[in-house]
Amino acid sequence: MNAADFTYVCGFVRDESAIVLEPGKEYLVESRLLTLARKVGLPSIEDLIGQVRTAKDPALKRKVVDAMTTNESSFFRDIHPFETLKKHILPEIIARRQKERELSIWCGAASSGQEPFTIMMILAEYFPQVLDWNLKFIATDLSTEILARARSGRFSQLEVNRGLPATLLVKHFTRQGTEWEFSEKLRRRVNFQELNLIKDWPVMPPADLVFLRNVLIYFDVETKKAILGRVRRLLRPGGTLFLGGAETTLNLDDGFVAVVKDRTSCYQLRFPQ
Amino acid sequence: MNENTLVDLDAMIAKANELAPLPASTVRLAQAVSSAETTLEDVAELIALDQALTATLLRGANSVASASATPVRSVKEAVMRLGTARVLALAVASSTRGMLNTPVTGYGLRQGELWRHSIASGIAAEVIPSYASVGVPPEAFTAAILHDIGKLLMTKFLSEEIMGFLRRAEEGDHLTRLDSERVLLSVHHGELGGLMAQHWRLPERIVTGIIYHHEPDAGNDVTADVTYLANLVAKQIEAGLDGRQLDFQPSPAVLERLGLRPDELPTLNQAAAKRYAQVSARYNA
Repeated sequence: MNAADFTYVCGFVRDESAIVLEPGKEYLVESRLLTLARKVGLPSIEDLIGQVRTAKDPALKRKVVDAMTTNESSFFRDIHPFETLKKHILPEIIARRQKERELSIWCGAASSGQEPFTIMMILAEYFPQVLDWNLKFIATDLSTEILARARSGRFSQLEVNRGLPATLLVKHFTRQGTEWEFSEKLRRRVNFQELNLIKDWPVMPPADLVFLRNVLIYFDVETKKAILGRVRRLLRPGGTLFLGGAETTLNLDDGFVAVVKDRTSCYQLRFPQ
Repeated sequence: MNENTLVDLDAMIAKANELAPLPASTVRLAQAVSSAETTLEDVAELIALDQALTATLLRGANSVASASATPVRSVKEAVMRLGTARVLALAVASSTRGMLNTPVTGYGLRQGELWRHSIASGIAAEVIPSYASVGVPPEAFTAAILHDIGKLLMTKFLSEEIMGFLRRAEEGDHLTRLDSERVLLSVHHGELGGLMAQHWRLPERIVTGIIYHHEPDAGNDVTADVTYLANLVAKQIEAGLDGRQLDFQPSPAVLERLGLRPDELPTLNQAAAKRYAQVSARYNA
């Protein structure tokens, strides 16, 4: 892949998704584009980029952006945030929302569904009463392809090996051939939608819980600020934002205050209205 | 599975499921050792049903380092002398030696190198409980022996092209081999090893130790911590270092969970190196 093509792809991906690909990542861009070129039946990366440049095929452009997104995900990723959710955050929110019997959750980088399904399992295991509430659970991602997979609730053996305790696998999944399918009853409570964080957001209900983990790391400072500002306006007073372990609101948005619970930092509104 | 990878993950999973099974007696032994209700007598009875396993065990129990003035003559005596954890490690090592003793080109390992590393790791895992202040489950020795078994599966899928990308990630982007595999292939050799162990119906803790041997924090189990540390100590032994000077820095979180002080590591290393010199014959390493 030549330097001009790399620069073009980086600029294109940045415009479409705000994902920043820095010099030194040529090997990554090449490997992803090579895989995509083969999948769509093109002989080389150069041919693929040529087609993207001529703007003839919007679907192909979309596939290039999808190919450059990192869909690494696992159940109970990093463990501690979900312990904090279970021990501290959910009990507080549920107590506060007892009267309305309504809970609103948004997962902003849902990938193939591991994070929203982890939260659903926590609700089913420890707060089953919430399943009878008006639960508004929206899970979004940039990639249409990955959302289709999330909606199917199907996971390979490799994927269920990532962080999912055997007891929960047996309880909430059924074997379908070589794959495992997440409980339909819990799965249908999650509304998967396409959402590009840097473009227009659909109307979403004020959120009690926002999960935006391991996505801000791919953006520049201005994009992070803009997204956090929108999250702040979406978060209900008393609501909580979870970011990835390497992410923070510090120096980006002082409307949030970090709340440390056990081994997890999460974020709440500094001046709840 | 992730569509943006250079390898066919479904084919990898299928390949793991095509592996020849472990001997039924080894699988039954692994399950028995994992159960809290199993007695030494139960283990001895299981072994006695398999002549090959009985011979392996008696040979191991009578090998130089294990032998006392009185040679071991019965399976029960052998189990009592070695303990169930070592008995299982011996049985699994014996069943997988043929595989582990092959060259692994995708990782630059010549014939015998993976086998020796596996045995050194198993022996390091035997030594760790003497220094740790937490209980080490019996499955940890076996997990340590098998921790790199996924390399055998991974290497089958590593074309020249993929090797080139992995090298660029490691050399140009300073990623570890594990992270290079994760970023470019969406799977790493620990995960493939876990799949193989599941296919062999080995106990969950062995699977966990194998999968998380490079990322013990995510493993959330002492078996992963022991396997991780045993791998590092084994590399030290293989490099011919006597343990007085450490050339690695284990994760402080792992040391804390195991109840090990950093200043105990040189002694632990020395003990493991000494034990390796004595005991590797037990495993024909």
